[in-house]
Amino acid sequence: MTTLTRQDLNFGQVVADILCEFLEVAIHLILYVREVYPSGIFQKKKKYNVPVQMSCHPELNQYIQDTLHCVKPLIEKNEAEKVVIVIMDKERHPVERFVFEISQPPLLSISSETLLSHVEQLLRAVILKISVCDAVLDNNPPGCTFTVLVHTREAATRNMEKIQVIKDFPWMVADEQEVHMQGSRLIPLKTMTSDLVKMQLYVEERAQKTS
Amino acid sequence: MDELYLDNIDEYIHDQNQIVTYKWLSLSLGVHVNLAKQMLYHYLDRCRKDGSKTPLHATYLVSGKCVQNGSLCHKVSVVREDKLEDMKTRMDPTISIHVYSIQKAEIKDSSTLYSTDYDAVRDNLKHCNKYSAIHCAAAVPMSPTELELIQEIQQTSSPEKVSKSGLTGHASVAKANVKKSQGIMGMFANKNTAKNQGSNIEVKLEKKDDAPSVETLESKPAGMASAVNNFFGKPTKKQDKCIKKEAESSAQSSTVESKHPKDAELPSKSDDVKEKALKDSKAKREKKDVRSKSKRPELTDSEDEKTESSNKKKRRRIKKPRSDSSDDDEDSPAKPTTVTTGSPESQVKEESLPTLEVFPEGKKRKRRRVLKSKTSVDEEGCIVTEKVYESESYSENDEVVTSQPKRSVLPVPGKKEEGRKSAKRQASNKSSKQVSIMGFFQKK
Repeated sequence: MTTLTRQDLNFGQVVADILCEFLEVAIHLILYVREVYPSGIFQKKKKYNVPVQMSCHPELNQYIQDTLHCVKPLIEKNEAEKVVIVIMDKERHPVERFVFEISQPPLLSISSETLLSHVEQLLRAVILKISVCDAVLDNNPPGCTFTVLVHTREAATRNMEKIQVIKDFPWMVADEQEVHMQGSRLIPLKTMTSDLVKMQLYVEERAQKTS
Repeated sequence: MDELYLDNIDEYIHDQNQIVTYKWLSLSLGVHVNLAKQMLYHYLDRCRKDGSKTPLHATYLVSGKCVQNGSLCHKVSVVREDKLEDMKTRMDPTISIHVYSIQKAEIKDSSTLYSTDYDAVRDNLKHCNKYSAIHCAAAVPMSPTELELIQEIQQTSSPEKVSKSGLTGHASVAKANVKKSQGIMGMFANKNTAKNQGSNIEVKLEKKDDAPSVETLESKPAGMASAVNNFFGKPTKKQDKCIKKEAESSAQSSTVESKHPKDAELPSKSDDVKEKALKDSKAKREKKDVRSKSKRPELTDSEDEKTESSNKKKRRRIKKPRSDSSDDDEDSPAKPTTVTTGSPESQVKEESLPTLEVFPEGKKRKRRRVLKSKTSVDEEGCIVTEKVYESESYSENDEVVTSQPKRSVLPVPGKKEEGRKSAKRQASNKSSKQVSIMGFFQKK
C-alpha cells in the first residue's frame, strides 16, 4: 500500500489520464444516445471490456481530443471542479447539461492489485447509466449542437488564456446563458466513489425543450 | 409463485432505471434461468395489462430454423419487441421465444445488454452456470491431482523421447514394470502412453543394472540416450552375472527397483523419473561395480568405437570436480609400467564406460557415489590415502551401502576404485606423489 499525496505528480497524471480517457468515451456516448449526430457515424469499439459507441468522424474526434487535451492539465492540478457537456438547440439555448463533478481525494492509498480494475468497473457502470439515460430524459429537438464547459478557478482561467495549450484552440469564458438554464430539473444519473477520484454525474434538463 | 419477485423487478426497472435481463435477474435473485424468464414474462404481462405508468420496452430471444444465404441454419437472435413478429415469420419452425430483458429505455444497440450482464457474470464467474439450463454430464472439472499429473507428463514427455532400449536381459522384470506403468498411464492420453512406457522401460532397466551405474549427465538428450541404450545393451547382459556376484546389493536393489514402481504409482511417473534423474546425478561418480575383467575388454573394444567421443565428452563432464577424465583416457592407453596397475586402470576405464552409458538414461535411482577416503599401501610401499568414489545402492526406502562387497571384488591394491581419478592418482602417485586436484576435497 503506497500513500501518495497530491504533490506527487505521477498520481495527478494517472488520474488525469484515466479521467480524460473516460470523458472522451462519455462524450461520444452522450452524442450517440442523445442523437446529437446521426447514428451512422458511430462505430462500436471496446473500452473497459465492453462495447461502446465512438464516432468515426475525424473532425469531431479531433475536436473532442483537443478539448480534453486542454482540460487535462487542470485535472492534473485538481483545478477542474466540473466538466459539463452542454447540448444546445438551434438558438444556442442549452436544453441539457451533463455535469461531471470531479473531486480528487488529497491523500491516496494505492493497493495496485485491485484499484484499477475497481475503477474500471465503476466507469463501466457510469457508461451503462449514460446508455440508458434516455429513459429519464425527454427527447431533444432536432438540430442540436454541443459544447464542453469546464468549471475551474479564476487563476487557472487566466493561465489558459495566456498559454494556448493547443494552437488555434482558444478557450473563452463561457456566456452566462450557456452556464445557467432556466427552469431546469436535475436528474442524478450515477455517483462513483473510488480511491482515485470521486465523480458524480447528473443531468440538468430544461423543462421545456421545444420552444 | 411468490409475488415478491414482481416488486423486486419493479424496483429494479423503475427506481434504479436498470436493464433487467433474465441472466442478470437469475444471478441477482439466485433462481434458475427458466424461472427468471417466467418472472419477466409475468411482470411484463401484468404491466401491460395494468396499463402502467411508464411504457416498458422488452427484448426477446428468438431461435428457430431459417434459410440464410440459401442454406438452412439455426438462428438465435435477440430482437426488440417491434421486430419480434417480423423475426417470427422469417423462422420456419420457431423453436423458442422468451423474454430476454425489460427496461424503461429503448435499447438502441446490443452493447448495453452486454454491459448489463458483464459485471453480474464477472462477479459470479466461478459459478455463473449454477442456474443455467445448459448442462453436460461429461464436463466435469479435473481434480487437482489429475491436473498435476497431466502437467508433469507434458513436461517430462518433451525432454524424454521414447527410445526402445535393446536390452532384453531384464525382460521379465521390465514387463512387470511396463504393466505397472500402463496402469498408471491408463489415466493419461494414449499418445503419452507409448512414450512413457518406453521411458519406463529404460528406467527400470537402468535400475537393474548395478554394474552400469547410471552416470549420465543430468540433462542428457534423448537422442544420446537411445544410442547409449543400445550401447548399453551388451554390458547389461554380461554384467548380470556380476550383479549376482554382489548378491546382497543386487538383490536388494532389484527388489527395491521392482517395488519402486509400485510405490510410485500415483505420485506420477514423471516424479519417479525426476527422482531417478536426481539420484543418477548424485550417483554419477559411483560405480564400484567391478565387472569381471574378461568382460571388460570386450566392452571396451566394442563400445569404444561407437561412442568413444561421446563417452569422452560425458566423462569430462562428469569428472568436473575430479581430475580430468581426459587424463585417464590418456593414461589407460599409456598404461603404467606395472601390469597390476595396468589392469586396474583398464578395469577402471571399462567401468567408466558402462557407467557413462547408463547415465544418459538418467533415471537410475539406485546408485549413487559416495566419497570415501581409503588408505592403502601402493606398490612402492607408500601409504596412500585416496579419496574414492564408491557406488552405493540407494533408494527411497532402502539405503544400502554396498561399498564393502565392491571392495572385496576389487583386486588387492586398494586403489581399486572406479573412475579415472583413481587411475590418475596411481599414475601420479607413482611418478611424483603430487597431490591431485581433488586433494582439496579430501575428507579426512
